[in-house]
Amino acid sequence: MITFKGIRQGLLVILDDGALWEDICASLQSKIINSSGFFKGGTIACDVGHRPLSVGQLVGLRAMLAEHDIVLWAIQSESELTRARAAELGLKTELAPVTSAELPEVIDASQSIQTGYIDGTDGLLVRRRVRSGQMIRHPGHIVVLDDVNPGAQLVAGGDIIVWGKLQGTAHAGALGDEQATICALELSPAILRIADVARRFQAGKRAKHARPERAHIEREEMVVTEWNP
Amino acid sequence: MESIVITVTSGKGGVGKTTSTANIGCALAQLGRKVCITDGDIGLRNLDIVMGLENRIVYDSVDVVEGRCKLKQALIRDKRLESLFLLPAAQTRDKTAMNPQQMTALCDQLREDFEFILIDSPAGIEQGFQTSIAPADKVLVITNPEVSSVRDADRVIGLVESAGKGPAQLIINRIIAARVARKDMLSVEDIMEVLTSNVIGIVPEDEEILSASNRGSPVAISGKGAAAMAYRDIARRINGENLPVQMPRSGGLLHRIFGRA
Repeated sequence: MITFKGIRQGLLVILDDGALWEDICASLQSKIINSSGFFKGGTIACDVGHRPLSVGQLVGLRAMLAEHDIVLWAIQSESELTRARAAELGLKTELAPVTSAELPEVIDASQSIQTGYIDGTDGLLVRRRVRSGQMIRHPGHIVVLDDVNPGAQLVAGGDIIVWGKLQGTAHAGALGDEQATICALELSPAILRIADVARRFQAGKRAKHARPERAHIEREEMVVTEWNP
Repeated sequence: MESIVITVTSGKGGVGKTTSTANIGCALAQLGRKVCITDGDIGLRNLDIVMGLENRIVYDSVDVVEGRCKLKQALIRDKRLESLFLLPAAQTRDKTAMNPQQMTALCDQLREDFEFILIDSPAGIEQGFQTSIAPADKVLVITNPEVSSVRDADRVIGLVESAGKGPAQLIINRIIAARVARKDMLSVEDIMEVLTSNVIGIVPEDEEILSASNRGSPVAISGKGAAAMAYRDIARRINGENLPVQMPRSGGLLHRIFGRA
């Protein structure tokens, strides 16, 4: 009934055209609650299909999302009526020409990253260094072919692989998957999270000869072991 | 005229943006280039003081943008260096007095007369910073060998890249080789590992800088210290010379034998 897609501007939530609006909203809310914080602090766009929505329904959706610390910035719809009402509420009705400056919060996270259309099981390849203050959020896996600097954040629904030093914070399995793992050639992060399990690391503690390591959950605890890729 | 707009920025305050802008501007002028240095720090201008030109300000860049004077009326010629000019910022206004489009238009006007236009960006990543990098062809990011300054420089380098103005070039300022050797200061290698290998200059800590700033006479004009030399080298690199960046060396003989600098 609900599909998540990674798009250039962040996340697009596609709501099934056929189902009852109330059911859809309830199901979206339960997905958010069960998602281990993947959406927290994020901005999303909703594709509501052909369905004509009232101002009240749109306001309700926005308020429900706001309750979970999510900003709704755009509504995509085939219905002209819905688009007009969304526009009235100050929401964008087109995804394409938005510049990063108009997006709240996610900012430089998404702008220079090519995500393409990807569903929940695919990966996002990041071929540049992720710097302080930048956040990359993706419903699938995230692979970074460079370093993740202190102060940078990765949030993935699936696994996180860093072919470099991971010194920022990383959250894998952020949609609730406890099987998710975080791997890096050098794992010296501030905080790691997998699903709902978090672990803090000593800041600035870097081994002289770092080895690739992998973090995963074992009996509800986060365990870091050597990674032999 | 072939011209380059260079914005000098850092994120964190007090790391040496204004000093670097003034010195690189002076050194480029000494190489015979036509240079305009301009203050992007509207409301908190300092470049005029460091240059010793405060008492010659009649009009400022906001006056030009708002049409109260011609650009030529606001430009101050430096009497020590023939080809160096200062375009001061307004002191009585704030960052909202100029937007990115206005700054870009102002620089386009300056491009007609100058080969190098240096913009001294305000600290921070807000409007003043955005306005200052808007016209830039090249961005110099200043950092000190210190964790919070490096963290802020990282943030700024990311923003510069996102704005399509990258890759930024780095100046590591105020390094003390002896302290690096004692491991109580980040080394150039540490900094490059986090930020970028794109380093255009390493400026050692130098007492001459402080007195020069207070006197309003940048060290690059006639200083003999290590910082003056470093700024002249940076200017030569910006001027297109292929000059390798020198790693800092600690002064004492014992440090040279035992130190790792």
